[in-house]
Amino acid sequence: MKTANQQTPTIPRQGQMINLVPYVAGVLILVILPVFLSSYSQSVMTRFLIFALFATGYNLAFGYAGLISLGHAAYFGAGGYTVAVLKLHYGSDLFWICTPLGILIATIIAAIFGIIALRVSGIYFLLVTFALGQLLYSVAWNVSWLNTPGMQGVSGLSLPTFGIAGFTLNTTSFYYLVLLVSLICFYLLFRIVNSPFGHALVGIREGEDRMRSLGYNTWLYKYLAFVISGAFSGIAGVLFGYYNYLISPTHLGVGTSFLPMCMAIIGGVGTLLGPVIGAAVIIFVELYASIMTPERWPLILGGLFVVAIMFAREGIGVYLWRLCNKVGHYYGSTKS
Amino acid sequence: MEQFIINLLNGLSYGMVLFLIASGMSVVMGAMNIINLAHGVLYMVGGYVGWTIAVQFGAPFVLGLLTGGLAAGLVGLAIERGFLRLLYKQPNEQVLLTFGFVYILTNLSLWIWGGWPRMPFTAKVLSGSVEILGKAYPKARLATILIGFILAIVLWWLQDKTRVGAMVRAGMDNKEMTMGLGINLERLFALVFFVASCIAGVAGVLGAQLLGVYNALGLEILLLALIVIIVGGVGSVQGALLGGILIGVIDAFGRALFPKLAMFTMYFTMIIILLVRPSGLLGRRT
Repeated sequence: MKTANQQTPTIPRQGQMINLVPYVAGVLILVILPVFLSSYSQSVMTRFLIFALFATGYNLAFGYAGLISLGHAAYFGAGGYTVAVLKLHYGSDLFWICTPLGILIATIIAAIFGIIALRVSGIYFLLVTFALGQLLYSVAWNVSWLNTPGMQGVSGLSLPTFGIAGFTLNTTSFYYLVLLVSLICFYLLFRIVNSPFGHALVGIREGEDRMRSLGYNTWLYKYLAFVISGAFSGIAGVLFGYYNYLISPTHLGVGTSFLPMCMAIIGGVGTLLGPVIGAAVIIFVELYASIMTPERWPLILGGLFVVAIMFAREGIGVYLWRLCNKVGHYYGSTKS
Repeated sequence: MEQFIINLLNGLSYGMVLFLIASGMSVVMGAMNIINLAHGVLYMVGGYVGWTIAVQFGAPFVLGLLTGGLAAGLVGLAIERGFLRLLYKQPNEQVLLTFGFVYILTNLSLWIWGGWPRMPFTAKVLSGSVEILGKAYPKARLATILIGFILAIVLWWLQDKTRVGAMVRAGMDNKEMTMGLGINLERLFALVFFVASCIAGVAGVLGAQLLGVYNALGLEILLLALIVIIVGGVGSVQGALLGGILIGVIDAFGRALFPKLAMFTMYFTMIIILLVRPSGLLGRRT
C-alpha cells in the first residue's frame, strides 16, 4: 500500500480542460467504433462496458475508500438475479421495472453485508466480504426458487423491452443502451469522487485516525462508499443479466468478485479511468485467449495477473495518464 | 446417544482437516501479513500428489502424506521466493498475484491429472472399523482425528515453546525491532511459508480420504479456511484449532439435525462471531 499510495496521481479537478481530453476521446471512440464492427464484436464491446462499469463502481470502495472487498459479485449477481427472477416467475423483462428493482435489491444486500463486514478492517475485511459473497452463492445454488427447473441458474433471459409498441432492441441498440447507462453512471461516479465526500474517502484511506480526529464519522463514510459501490455493481449486474441470457451461481461467487478487483489493480487503483482500462485489457485478453486455446486460457489469464503485478505494479492506466499529460506538455497547453 | 457420539466424531475428523487447512494460512497471515489465496490450491496439489502416490501407485499411506506435503511445500516455497517476497505489505498486489496462481495451478493440475474427480479412498493401513458403543466407526476417520491432534500439538509446541517460534512471534509484533536484533526474518518467513504450505499439502492428503480431490477444490477449500480463520482468529495455532473443531462439529450436527440448512450453518456461526467478537474467538485484538 505504501508505495502504491505515493504514486497515486492527483485527482483531476473540475475546470481543467486538458483533463477532459482523454474522456472525450474515449467516449467518441466508444460511440463511433461499433458502427464498423460485426455484431459479435459489438457484443464483446457490450461485455467490456458492463465490466468497466462494474469495476469503476467497485473502485469507489476499493480504490478511493481503501476497502479491499472480495465479495462485490454478490451485488452484481443480485442485480442479475433480479432480472432473472422477474423473467422466470413474472415473465417480465421491462427495463423500467427490472433496473430500479435490481439496484434496490443490490443496495439492500450491500447495506446488510456492509454492517457485518465493516466490523473489521484491512485484510479481515477481505475475508469477511469473501465469505458473505459465497453465502449468496450457496443460497443461489440451493434455493429452487432461484433456479430454472433442471439446471443451476436461470436461463432464457432476453434483452430488455421498454413497453413501447414496435420498439425492440437488437445487439447494436443494446450496446448503445449500455453505453448510455455506463456514461451516466460514470458521470455520477466522477461527481462523487470529486465531491467533498470523495475527498474525505481518500483522506480515510490515507489516514483514518487523522480523519477521525478531524471530526469525521469515518465508519459512516466507509459504509456509504461501500453501499454506493454495491449499487453501481447492481446496475452492472442488471445489464449483465440482459446481456448474458443466463445467470448462474458463479456470477455471485468469488471468481466474479475477483474480476473488478484485478481490473482496478491492473488499470490503476484509485483513479477513475484506471478500472475502465483494466476492464478492456482483461476482457480482450480473456476473449482472445479463450479463442486461441479454449483449454488453457485460465493459464494465460493467471499469467497476465502475475506479469502485471511484477512489472506494471502501478497499473497500466496510470502510465497512460502520465503519457497523456506529457503529450499535453508537449503542446504547451497543460495546466496539471 | 450413539448418534450423538458418531456425529461428534464425524465433526471432529472434519474439523481436524479444517484446522490443518486453516492453521498454515492463519499463521502466514498473522506472521507475514500475507493473504495467500493460493492456499486452497496448495491443498489441492497435495491431495492430487498424495492420491497418485497412495492409490494409483499403491504406496504406503504415510509416503502419500509425506510426498503430498512436500510437493505442496515446494510449490508454496517457489511462490514465496519467486514472487511474494517482493510484495510485502502490499495486500492488493498479494491478492492479485495469489489469485493468479489459483488460475495457473488449477489449470496446470487439470492438465496433469485430467478433469475426472478422484474419489474418497481409504488407505490399506486404515481400512476396517472400530466398535464404539456398539456401532462400527471407520478407523480412517479416527486416524484423521489422531493425526490432526498430533500435528496440532507439534505446531503449538513449535509456536510457543521453541526459539524459532519465539522469533516468529517477535516478528509478528514488531518487525523492525526483531530485525534490529540480528534475526534474519526473511529466511525465517520463507521457512514459515514452506511449513504452512507443507501442512496444507498434508491436509490435502488427509482430506482426500474424506472428500476426494477434484479440480474446483482450490476455491472451496479457501472459503473453508477463511471461515475457520474468521471464527478462530488470525495468527495462532490455537485459534485455528478452535475454529476448525467448532465449524467441523457444527457442520456435522447441522447435517444430521436439519439437513436443509446444513449449507448455511457455518455462515451463521461466522456472522454471529463477527457481530459479537470481530477479531475471532482467540484472535489478537487490533
